[in-house]
Amino acid sequence: MWLAVLSTIADASAADSDRFALQRMVRGDHDALAEVYDRHARLLYSLALRIVGRQPDAEDVLQEVFTQVWRQAGRYDTSRGSVAGWLVMLTRSRALDRLRRERGEPPAADVDWAAIDVVDPGAGADLRLVTAEQAARIRAALEALPDAQRVPLELGYYEGLSQSAIAGRLGVPLGTIKTRMRQALLRLRDALAETAP
Amino acid sequence: MSAVPLDHDAVREQIALHAIGALPPDERSAVESHLRGCTECAAELASLVPVSAALAQIVPAHEPPAALRGRVLAAAKVTARASTRRSMAAWAPWLAAAAMLVVAAGASFYAADLRAEVRTLQAQLRVALDRAADGERRVAVALRTVADAEAPLAVLIAPDVRRIDLAGQPVAARASGRAFWSRSRGVVLTATNLPALPPGRTYQLWFVTSAAPVSIGLVKPDASGSVRRLVDSRGDFPEPVAVAVTIEPDGGVLAPTGDKYLVGAAQ
Repeated sequence: MWLAVLSTIADASAADSDRFALQRMVRGDHDALAEVYDRHARLLYSLALRIVGRQPDAEDVLQEVFTQVWRQAGRYDTSRGSVAGWLVMLTRSRALDRLRRERGEPPAADVDWAAIDVVDPGAGADLRLVTAEQAARIRAALEALPDAQRVPLELGYYEGLSQSAIAGRLGVPLGTIKTRMRQALLRLRDALAETAP
Repeated sequence: MSAVPLDHDAVREQIALHAIGALPPDERSAVESHLRGCTECAAELASLVPVSAALAQIVPAHEPPAALRGRVLAAAKVTARASTRRSMAAWAPWLAAAAMLVVAAGASFYAADLRAEVRTLQAQLRVALDRAADGERRVAVALRTVADAEAPLAVLIAPDVRRIDLAGQPVAARASGRAFWSRSRGVVLTATNLPALPPGRTYQLWFVTSAAPVSIGLVKPDASGSVRRLVDSRGDFPEPVAVAVTIEPDGGVLAPTGDKYLVGAAQ
């Protein structure tokens, strides 16, 4: 009976391999870093490219992220969330830092993902990735949002613009921007909840 | 700007933006300090964080350039893992700045003296820090050696240890093995007569659970086909119904694909 079970593919197994790879990195095993790269580089590169826009910059971001993972493997508490979630947040953080540098802003001036760089993703935060099915639902929900909500959210999330910068760019009062971004996020959360088993 | 205390309703309004890291620093720290004492707001945040992860996952997919892999891995390879040298690096500019301040005060003769002294002290500090770092490294290595030796024993004498006998399968009829598993302390695998691995292949140890096989780790036997090693696996996976060793491509795989070499039922 278990022979059939043996051939089942499970996310739990991938998450387990990631945690195991992190432990191996602490012991100086470079192959473990290569494994993690092979599992996640496509998603991380796609995210970096979406944020920084140019291929060479996206490559630099990935290099920074994996160097940081190698350096900090022993300091990441894997019980706090999945390694993949951590990698995604690191990538977004490094990519946004790069955009801010280009705009002449100090890194993490308004969005401080550096706070989760080391260990602590914040109270109650759970850095797990969503399933492919949930991601598809979120994509549909995002596309279904009115532009007035979707555009500020995308400017904040993918370009790291502060709310006042978004308000300035769109010519909309700051309070309105805050409300619309919040409404957009709550709509997306509802979409996510619909897919929960 | 320092954090201004916020009431519950005001924080509640900001949690969604906090979840995607979109609050300015002053508002963020006010929200964070409220979160520490408010389970309701913490739960609200927890429900919104997956939205942030999902937004990262829905970007258009692009294949990274093939050459990037080598570049990224090479860059990491030359990067030292977190070390104690940082403290010296932090000191040096401070000392230099102190020397410059004295110069600016106008007592240039005295300052030159001081600067020389600072330079000497800097050099001495560097040597001392190097020695300290070296000493720390040696202690760390020694501690690790002891820990490595003790860990398998800790598994074998754990109150919750279980023994699972593994039998050689048709591809390795002479092989046999045993897994000792303690949920709190890890897994020790011993095996004999495992066939030599062809290049580019590895053995991989699996716990077959009611849900799916969980990879416990990679296993390379010595020249005689023997394995005696601790696999540090203290995951929260469900109880195994069986334990198996399969042959897989180097680096391991997420779910078993190759022939089974050792199998045992976990009673």
